Amino acid sequence: MHSKTLGWILLAPTLLILFLFGVVPFIYVVFVSFHQWNPFGANPNMVFNWANNYRRVVFDAQFITSLQVTAAFVFFAVTSQLILGYALAQAFMRDFPGKSFFRTIHTLPLIMAPIIVGSVWKLMTTPSIGIIPNLLSNWFGYDLNIGQSATQAFITTVVMDIWHWTPLVTLTMIAALVSLPPDPFEQAQIDGANRRQIFWHITLPMIRPAILATLFIRLMDAMRTVDEVLMLTGGGPGSATRYVGVHIFKEVFPRTNYGYGSAISVVVLYLTIVVCWLMYVGLIAPRNKGKG
Amino acid sequence: MSHALKLGASVLALSLAAGSAMALDEEFYRQAGTEFAGVTLRGVTESTPPSNYVREVLAPRFEELTGIRVDIETTSWDQMYDKAIKDMEAGTGIYDMVYIEQDIVYAYLARDFLVDLTAALEARPELKAPDYDEGRLTSFADYFRGENGNLFGMPMEAFIKTYLYRTDLFDDPEHQAAFRERTGHDLAPATTHEEYTHIAEYFTEWGQANGGNLWGTTAQAHTGHPASWYEFFESVAPTFGVYDWGIDPENNYAASVENGGRMNSDEAKAALRWWLHLRDIAPPESVQSTWSEVATTFAAGRAAQGLVYGENAAWIASDANQSRVVGNVGVALPPLAEGVLAEVEAGEGYIGYYDGGAFGLPVTSTNQDAALLFMQFMAEEELQPDWAVAGSRITTTATYDDPQVQELNSQLGGYFDMMKDQGHLFAGAPAYPFHAQVREATAPIFYDILTGSIEPDAGLDQMAAKAEEELTDLGYRN
Repeated sequence: MHSKTLGWILLAPTLLILFLFGVVPFIYVVFVSFHQWNPFGANPNMVFNWANNYRRVVFDAQFITSLQVTAAFVFFAVTSQLILGYALAQAFMRDFPGKSFFRTIHTLPLIMAPIIVGSVWKLMTTPSIGIIPNLLSNWFGYDLNIGQSATQAFITTVVMDIWHWTPLVTLTMIAALVSLPPDPFEQAQIDGANRRQIFWHITLPMIRPAILATLFIRLMDAMRTVDEVLMLTGGGPGSATRYVGVHIFKEVFPRTNYGYGSAISVVVLYLTIVVCWLMYVGLIAPRNKGKG
Repeated sequence: MSHALKLGASVLALSLAAGSAMALDEEFYRQAGTEFAGVTLRGVTESTPPSNYVREVLAPRFEELTGIRVDIETTSWDQMYDKAIKDMEAGTGIYDMVYIEQDIVYAYLARDFLVDLTAALEARPELKAPDYDEGRLTSFADYFRGENGNLFGMPMEAFIKTYLYRTDLFDDPEHQAAFRERTGHDLAPATTHEEYTHIAEYFTEWGQANGGNLWGTTAQAHTGHPASWYEFFESVAPTFGVYDWGIDPENNYAASVENGGRMNSDEAKAALRWWLHLRDIAPPESVQSTWSEVATTFAAGRAAQGLVYGENAAWIASDANQSRVVGNVGVALPPLAEGVLAEVEAGEGYIGYYDGGAFGLPVTSTNQDAALLFMQFMAEEELQPDWAVAGSRITTTATYDDPQVQELNSQLGGYFDMMKDQGHLFAGAPAYPFHAQVREATAPIFYDILTGSIEPDAGLDQMAAKAEEELTDLGYRN
């Protein structure tokens, strides 16, 4: 009893902070989402408008487009990060000259603020001035203009995200790989298993929890990406990189459409939870059920 | 006393009088500051040359005199508004000064976000600097006056978005001969859109044939940033006679031709087609250029002419560390469609954007009296010339005549003279309290026009409809 009370006392500050900065703002956003509220409207006050904002979300072509491009962005960025991150982790598990140096260099993007990443990539990709368009033009005769080509802009944002966040995946994969016990691998080698079989039947199942945890973290992060993309393309050209985070930003801040922007935020949060739940159901739950 | 001696004495007396009028009353600020010992004023503003001067020069000097610390946060244009609006909306009182660009002031006034500076100083006469006089401000200050005629923002930067051209190229005999042979006209700053196009096409073709580092024009044509929207509606459309974004405030805020607006009028469509053609023959970076990048493009010597925000004119023309066209910058009025100048001189429109901003004092500030002191300090005559040279901005009429400013004016090809004598032909943003809302509602369609996803004519039709829809949603249009 005593230890239970002490436990709650120790948890209290965390719970209080979580309540004040997590739960209260969320409830407020839900509250605002049921109002028409633009402080620069003829009536700057909040006016309750039932679920009209939610009804509008469903028919908002811009929002639907932003969801589609976000889904593509998340798929390509997160998948690439997982594959590359694992490959790099495997590479860093081996000894080679300059390993420490490369490992340090490789993690540098991770400590950069997203807004800086966006600025750096903007400088590198500005048509005809940036180093990347110049090199592509000189070496391959390829014309990169992310201000004009929707496809190039989309790919560039994906590559930028991969560059920024792959080190996180690499670090978690390294942490998972170094913690693996050597016995199953030695046993498999004695039994004559090849590298592919060892990967599929031993390594992958054993690091699966780490992969899934990383996947969820990256998935949620990628779905709310704003700063980098806003700095690099501003959501353009056109709506090519107007991902949901950018769309919400533009609705809520410059347009001060607080009510509708809140409704979109709630819908996106709901969709994120649904996607994560579906992945949980598809990837984790069956395995746990099998164990039971 | 001889006539010459009398004249000399008069000149000396006038000089002394002028000198004393220009001198900063340091004693007043020292004494006034004692009341606010330990106070820190916080301001948020866009990172521009004039704002950076406030942070780096004026704020330390003010602190030295008064003991009042001034922290000026310079950030991006979007972030600045985001921070200021959230602070004033929530009433948190973080900021004691917020940058109010001329285009947002009407929205702030509509929400009663700002302190009436005139009334506040009348209520606290002991805080009024002895030589402070609103009458010394240029007419640009009128953009920051409320319906009662009082000042709600202290102007700190003002400039016109003007037509810059490269004098070294325009004066080059080889170019003049080649241009004359090609067009049958002399190579001179364009006065019509057709002339401008001819010059742009000539230099772009010449540039492509001679190393590919020169283009005929700049274009502020970012495909995802409102800078492109502004270039069209504030700088291009007015030269075709489409003012106030094509929205008619006297006619139920109509935007479409069908309802009496002009956003999708034939003139607006002609303007857009003209500008899109220029964008196509401008440097490739134009599709990612906002106002800053356009200035950089011109300063890098990559464009023969262009519409450039005046805040950048000084460093482009005079700072050899940043600009490759020092000494080669000419300035002229933007090219105009027939009849526009006469219309504007008759007071029915404007030919370009009179840009600028002021520092406003939020009603939520907890240090209003100390902030009032700083506001007046910013308007001190003694501080104006250096500030004008550093940021090519002028907000008091006397600054035009300062020798330093006159010297820079020569380097700028008469930019300050143009601002003084022809500034009345330019205008700030229309007095709309829904500025950002209509812009953001229509901008995605505009970006689609820029990428070619929508035809320009159809795009403007859609934008006009969208503007009316947004205005209806906001409650301004019935």
